[in-house]
Amino acid sequence: MRGRRSTLSFLLAAMVAGGAAPGAQAVAPGQPAPDLRLQAEDGKVVSLAADKGKVVLVDFWASWCPPCKTAFPEVDSLYREFQPRGFDVIAVNLDERRRDAEDFLAGRPHVMQVAFDPEGKSPRAFGLWGMPSSFLVGRDGRVRFVHVGYSGKVLDSYRREIEQLLAERP
Amino acid sequence: MRQRTRVMVLVGGVVLCSALAASCATVQPWERRELANPCMVFDASAAQAAYDAHWQSAREGSAGGFGFQGGGCGCK
Repeated sequence: MRGRRSTLSFLLAAMVAGGAAPGAQAVAPGQPAPDLRLQAEDGKVVSLAADKGKVVLVDFWASWCPPCKTAFPEVDSLYREFQPRGFDVIAVNLDERRRDAEDFLAGRPHVMQVAFDPEGKSPRAFGLWGMPSSFLVGRDGRVRFVHVGYSGKVLDSYRREIEQLLAERP
Repeated sequence: MRQRTRVMVLVGGVVLCSALAASCATVQPWERRELANPCMVFDASAAQAAYDAHWQSAREGSAGGFGFQGGGCGCK
């Protein structure tokens, strides 16, 4: 009886352990931002380390995600607005097929830098749990604000947060 | 003999559990391209589906499972 019970417990434990999904831990405000090394549209390497001392918006998006389509031109407009004051955007495309991203970008003129991560290494490092997601990194290289999802209302928050971070000295 | 049977059951069980667990895959948010396709939606009309859920919940409160309860009139 005891043997049967222990066998049963072992099987249950094996099932739970086997079925358990690896839980990603999202990078929280205050934590250092994981570095990125991704290929940009022009073939150059984009990295967060190269933007040291700047306020950086790391924006994860994909061509198949409807709110990302809305957010894309808005994020680009933020870049145009704040770039002269030490602000940068790394728009990380997560399409598994590069062609999907290129088709999307072809119809959307932009000036911010777009990088590609079809293998999904960077979203894993940031612990992404929703699309789109963006991480506002301060001059000290720490993540200060995190946004998941997108609606037009968020744009004002972005502006306020960017202004606040730009005002801080490195 | 009994010991041998038990070991065989144990090994068989572990193999079965592993096979079942292997079918559980976590789809990351950035891997949902196919799932985001409109043809993956069960209901053709979101508004109609919401109405149906409301109607059914109001009449079959105990069946529920829609996240809200009705008073029976379906007019909340």
